[in-house]
Amino acid sequence: MLKRLTRRWNELWHGDRLDREAREELAHHLELATAERRGAGADASEARRLARLELGDAEEARERLREGRAGFWLDSVRKDAAYAARMLRKRPGFSAVCVLTIGLGVGASTALFAVVDAVVLRPLPLPDPGTLVAIYDTNPSLAVERSGIATGNLVDWRRRAQRLRGIAGYYTMGRTLTMGQDSEVVLTAQMTEDFFPLLGVTAALGRTFTREETAAALFNTAAAPVGPDPVVVLSHGLWQRRFGGDPGVVGQTVLLERRPCRVVGVMPSGFAMPGPEVELFIPWGFSGEEPRDQHYVSAVARLTPETTLAQAEGELRTVANDLARAYPETNRGWSVRLVSLQEDVVGDSGRTLFVLLAAVALVLLVACANVALLSLARGLERAHEASIRLALGATRRRLLRQFLMESLLVAAAGGVLGAVLAVSGVALLRRTAAGLPRIHEVALDPRALLFACAATAAAALVSGLPYAWRRARAQPAPDLAGTHARVAGAGHGHVLRDGLVIAEVAMAVVLLVGASLLVRSYQRLKAVDPGFDPRAVLVAPIFLDMAGYGGGGKSRTYYATLIERLEALPGVVSAGGATALPASPLGPNFERPVWPEEIPNDPAVRRPAWVRIVTTHYFRTLGMQIVEGRGFDERDAPQGALAVILSQGLARRLWPDGTAVGRRLVVDYSTAGTYPYDVVGVVNDVRFGGPRTEPRQEIYMPHAQRPYLVMNVAVRSSGDPRYLAPAVRDVLRDLDPRKPAHGIHSLEDLLGATYSRDRHAMLVLSAFAAVAVLLSLLGIHGILSHRVRERTREIGIRMAVGADRGHLLRWIAGHGLKLTLAGVLLGSALAAASAQAVSSLLFGVSPTDPAAALAVAALPLIALLVSLHPAWRATRIDPVEVLRAG
Amino acid sequence: MATEKLDLLILKTLARASLHGYGIGQEIEQRSEGVFRVTLGSLYPALQRLERDGLIDAEWKASDNNRRARYYRITPAGRRRLAAEQKDWERVSAAVSRILKAT
Repeated sequence: MLKRLTRRWNELWHGDRLDREAREELAHHLELATAERRGAGADASEARRLARLELGDAEEARERLREGRAGFWLDSVRKDAAYAARMLRKRPGFSAVCVLTIGLGVGASTALFAVVDAVVLRPLPLPDPGTLVAIYDTNPSLAVERSGIATGNLVDWRRRAQRLRGIAGYYTMGRTLTMGQDSEVVLTAQMTEDFFPLLGVTAALGRTFTREETAAALFNTAAAPVGPDPVVVLSHGLWQRRFGGDPGVVGQTVLLERRPCRVVGVMPSGFAMPGPEVELFIPWGFSGEEPRDQHYVSAVARLTPETTLAQAEGELRTVANDLARAYPETNRGWSVRLVSLQEDVVGDSGRTLFVLLAAVALVLLVACANVALLSLARGLERAHEASIRLALGATRRRLLRQFLMESLLVAAAGGVLGAVLAVSGVALLRRTAAGLPRIHEVALDPRALLFACAATAAAALVSGLPYAWRRARAQPAPDLAGTHARVAGAGHGHVLRDGLVIAEVAMAVVLLVGASLLVRSYQRLKAVDPGFDPRAVLVAPIFLDMAGYGGGGKSRTYYATLIERLEALPGVVSAGGATALPASPLGPNFERPVWPEEIPNDPAVRRPAWVRIVTTHYFRTLGMQIVEGRGFDERDAPQGALAVILSQGLARRLWPDGTAVGRRLVVDYSTAGTYPYDVVGVVNDVRFGGPRTEPRQEIYMPHAQRPYLVMNVAVRSSGDPRYLAPAVRDVLRDLDPRKPAHGIHSLEDLLGATYSRDRHAMLVLSAFAAVAVLLSLLGIHGILSHRVRERTREIGIRMAVGADRGHLLRWIAGHGLKLTLAGVLLGSALAAASAQAVSSLLFGVSPTDPAAALAVAALPLIALLVSLHPAWRATRIDPVEVLRAG
Repeated sequence: MATEKLDLLILKTLARASLHGYGIGQEIEQRSEGVFRVTLGSLYPALQRLERDGLIDAEWKASDNNRRARYYRITPAGRRRLAAEQKDWERVSAAVSRILKAT
């Protein structure tokens, strides 16, 4: 065995020596043979001639010995590559087009693969990520599919769950961080003590929280830290951004909501839980009396080994049922639901991404088919070359390999170009697709590069095989005689080319159908009335802190003054604030059970309603309509009767056959008691989460009566709202320099962000479809031009015997049309078959929408126009010249 | 001559004695009484193949006329192969001749 390996090794590296030895051995053989013939009486040269005749050519034998060696293969590949490179250099324009086409295809698909890989395929960058789950509360009787959990229940679950190794709760909100004169609102997460240990992550610098620190970390109702000696852990990003990566940061003090907090650690750079935008972590200890009916906490847990998600869910449901029996007031109807953390983080963006990846694969295929077509058309002159080489004794396999080598080189160059394009593509995606989960993890890593290599290899095969196959099937004699150019073609090549064009058109049709459906769906989304007018509105989230503004009076005064000053600004139509604004991600957003006062104590009529605290001009500012009763005004003063305004949907549900105005609504604040409110008005429904979501049932309370610290302030301007932003910032700085807004956005942008994924998918797919259509049109044009060139003589004869130009036009263009129609038919069938894949991305559009059919129907028309050019060229052929040349 | 048959004849020849390439050709020609003539183009590739398969071995040695020559020698694996092939061949050729002789 070893000996055999050494032999192979020698064959690979010592080809020259082996060659020499073979020559020596063969020479020896000949010498002996010659000697023998001399012995039989022939003279020296005659004996040598006889020996050679008899034994065959020594040169041939040596060649065959060389072919038998391992190195021969490598050697000939090297030769093929050099030859192929020479052939490609001879046609730089053609080669450049091929390289560019494949480069674009490989680049686009690699960039998209990198995204799909990072977002969907790769497990979360945490130890043993498969056992991590997110926990949600559900309440089917209230149609609550997923909500946060209640801290009171979390404590019980922890105590009783055997199949979970700990359950960590966390809650994220914006808090004001002050360093020196500089204040900003950063997204913070308060988390129970087991959060970091459960995820299996330790601090990169310093440490995470101790049990004692967590136990001491208590919060007031506004989630402002109130425990003694508060501590914080920084995210890597915040550490870099605000501390310049100072290694001595541990032990320093920062002001959080005006309270000095000690920095105890910095998290590692890749850590992105609960989300990449969370910059500060604070511990969270539960007091003895935690509420069971305030479903606002996010929870993450780890399954014990050998436990499935379903088992753990079953166990937790049993606990939830027990709790519902023990605390019917608060827990009735509530159950739990477990979701793998991966799924929870990635959500349904995977579907969009897979559709786009499939689309980009189609584009790559179309690009390769086009290169194949180009090669076939351009390869006409090379039929001679193939014939000559066949006639000279090259094997078909060798010929096939040589032609494939050319496409391999083109594809390799395209692959390198593609990798370069993918680098910028990934950079672009990271910037523009910020709404995508885990987008910060996207990078052009070895896996993506491996994909690029695979895509390149596939491109080489797809683009090279048809051409190489065709050439290797050349006939030595007839092609040499040049007859191929004179008679109407040999069948195979045409079937191949026509098939390629049909396939190309079909793939373009699939993309076109997908793109037009997404465009239509996006138009539908844009046309949805969200229940408010987002145009010309600016949103500024403001987080007042307990220490500075605790006690209702201060925040009431602050916001009243702020609104007044904002409305005094030139160009401002009106201003108003709400705890949580539609489409705005920040702000306290919670539900409370409500019921009509006249039906007390019947859990069946209780409904969860989202509570919004709003200022007087809020509805006007957002362009919402009071459909019944009145909006808030000076009557709803702090000492006045408690007033509430209902959303239309809620009013209809609570009082199905009567007016809501004038009735009294009870709001259950759980541990804080229940309060009746006078219903003073009904306002139209709002699609709070954007056009893709259903309206929520909401209640609005006046800020004057229920002052809140955190508000999203909306400003309606008479012109472009963005010009107002500096003036709004000035007003805020003037009121309290330590309370800047946490990013000022236009409401239109915020609303757009709720369906930015639809927008991205539409734009990307449209671009893909455009490229595919363009390429397939080029393909049709190319194949028809080729056909005309190939049949010049036939056309000349036809014209000579009286065919008119119209006939010729129809003949050539008709062929293009036939191919296009076949492609459209095939593509439509494929699109119909794959409609299910896109249907989940669509909004208000069925996969069989006529818009798609219209776009597809336009394709043959455009193809016909493109076909006219080569057809016209055919009519310019001069029969006399052709016949003379023949 | 079919390659398998040539391989068998080479192995058989080498089973009797180590020889250089020319000697192998001569031996086969003589033993077959001139029926088989071995050309350069078939002999040496066959030797290369057999050597690669580990059935024969080769080394450079001084020849009778004191020239450097490459001598081939059968390996134990080669002997085993020879025995198997020989049996196979005898079986096949007997069968073929039975068919051909049948009337």
